[in-house]
Amino acid sequence: MARPKLRLQFAHSPVLRYGLAVASFAIALGLGLLAQRYGFHNVADPLFLFAIAITVWYAGIGPGTLTVALSGLADTYFFIEPIYSIYITRDDLPHFVIFVLFASLLTGFAAVRRRVEAELLQARDKLEIEVAERTQQASLLNLTHDSIFVRDMDFVITFWNLGAQELYGWTAEDAVGKHSQELLQTAFPAPLEDIHRELLRTGRWEGELKRTTADGMQVVVAGRWALRRDEQERPAAILETSNDITERKRREQEIESLNLELAKRSTELESINKELEAFAYSISHDLRAPLRHMAGFTELLQKKVSSVVDEKSNRYIAMILDSAKRMGNLIDDLLAFSRIGRAETQKTLFSLTQLVREALTEVRQDTEGRNIAWKIGALPDFYGDRSMLRLVLVNLISNAIKFTRTRPQAEIEIGCADGKSDDLVAFIRDNGVGFDMKYVNKLFGVFQRLHQSDEFEGTGIGLATVQRIIHRHGGKVWAEGAVDGGATFYFSAPKPRGHLWRP
Amino acid sequence: METMNKLGRILLVEDDPKDVELTLTALEEYNLANEVIVARDGEEALDYLYSRGKFKTRSSDNPAVMLLDLKLPKVDGLEVLKQIKSEEKLRMIPVVVLTSSKEEKDMVASYKLGVNAYVVKPVDFHEFVNAIKELGVFWAVINEPPPGSVRK
Repeated sequence: MARPKLRLQFAHSPVLRYGLAVASFAIALGLGLLAQRYGFHNVADPLFLFAIAITVWYAGIGPGTLTVALSGLADTYFFIEPIYSIYITRDDLPHFVIFVLFASLLTGFAAVRRRVEAELLQARDKLEIEVAERTQQASLLNLTHDSIFVRDMDFVITFWNLGAQELYGWTAEDAVGKHSQELLQTAFPAPLEDIHRELLRTGRWEGELKRTTADGMQVVVAGRWALRRDEQERPAAILETSNDITERKRREQEIESLNLELAKRSTELESINKELEAFAYSISHDLRAPLRHMAGFTELLQKKVSSVVDEKSNRYIAMILDSAKRMGNLIDDLLAFSRIGRAETQKTLFSLTQLVREALTEVRQDTEGRNIAWKIGALPDFYGDRSMLRLVLVNLISNAIKFTRTRPQAEIEIGCADGKSDDLVAFIRDNGVGFDMKYVNKLFGVFQRLHQSDEFEGTGIGLATVQRIIHRHGGKVWAEGAVDGGATFYFSAPKPRGHLWRP
Repeated sequence: METMNKLGRILLVEDDPKDVELTLTALEEYNLANEVIVARDGEEALDYLYSRGKFKTRSSDNPAVMLLDLKLPKVDGLEVLKQIKSEEKLRMIPVVVLTSSKEEKDMVASYKLGVNAYVVKPVDFHEFVNAIKELGVFWAVINEPPPGSVRK
């Protein structure tokens, strides 16, 4: 590669090119004169032609023409009679004309040949550069993890990168020259004719292809095809870039089946919910009726016989009535409890301080004649269902009021234990009769009671309701207490997201 | 008695005999029980209203009020209510739903069908008696029934 470069460089400098013209002419003239001195005639012409040829060859047509002119002049001056004049006799004119014509012809031929050779060299250089670039590109294509291969219009593979080797298992040596369909056993998502039609129309095609690898595994790839056309715009080759989506497909299918499963479950759940609703309805209707009859007829009985039966019988009658009433309350509470599970939550941002105030108003009649020291701390805003939260507060506060009944001075504190966590934690603390931590896990169960009902009345549903509401808000409830040492009930809930959107 | 003369006829639709007895007892206590017709299911209630079946020979006038339970054998209360309210010559009869159900959907359905009042039977007997008494007094005595109803 160095040689042609040197030659081209040489030929490109005008000083050198014309220098060469003058020098080769001078040498030819010198040699011609020398030969003449020693009696050799007719040597000058070939020498000049040689000089012209050299010049044209190495320096191009311009310097060549100069050499022709100089040689013509020198020829007439030094070698054609009369010597030392540029006058040419009629006899010598043909000789001179032939010389000049021959020199010109030589110059012309040499120039043409030279140009052809230069073009050839240039073409070779270009080709070599292209080969180098292609080689580089091919090795770049090996860097990508995508599989890339090229096949011609007869499905014969002509290029196969490292990614294709990794994906399908065949090396480039194995794959190049093979029929791509036979090698990969591709299953197309549409008829191949349709795909080819689209490819010819738009120059590209994309789709999922199922293939078999060298070790017989099924793979799914996302393939992107690009059509290459030759200079005559005829389809020449198809370049396919693809990546393995087998795993993704598998996950998609998994997700799909999970979704189906989920849909099935939620349908099941829905029907269970409906059953529960029907159950609650039937409790509401069917359980109430016999209860009403028991209470009604017992009362009628009481009216009829109370004056004629003894005190014990009257007490029995009173106890039946009391039980019926209690069962009525239980049914009502249970229905309310089941309704919380079914009702939609309507979440808003509200002030917990304000809600505590409302709850206190609601339980006011329970505090009549009582000596209660209230301590209410700063409370944050709460994001949730206001009426449900109100029920939580009413339940917890009336519990605190109830279980401090035996204290001459009751103390009830409502506050916020502000941790650094994402949840806000509120508490209600009392100095009441408390409970044994041993039974703490029974506190929030339905119908679970830690006190005898003649001590403290209740249905055992209040705290279960509290728990259910807080759970529906994504929070937790827990309690701390000691026998005769008061109790603290905590509930947490996610903080309103940032305080940014607060008015 | 003045009130007695003006007492309207009450159609009580109730399947539970105990409820019937309690209701009648409550009405008796206020002397409102002398003109009560009891239908034990939805079909009987409709038979009465259309004067068919065993009520073929009844006097042609409509009751002053109808106390209707919702949970009834054969034809349920809501269906009875629907039929009455879509029948030109029956739709004027005041209908009071008297039920154990506190369920909102029953209430909504009843009002949508054009019920005149919706009363949940209280568990407590005193309250129950009070409710029946007030119902009886209001609908059979105070309220002026539509033309064509019995008023003695």
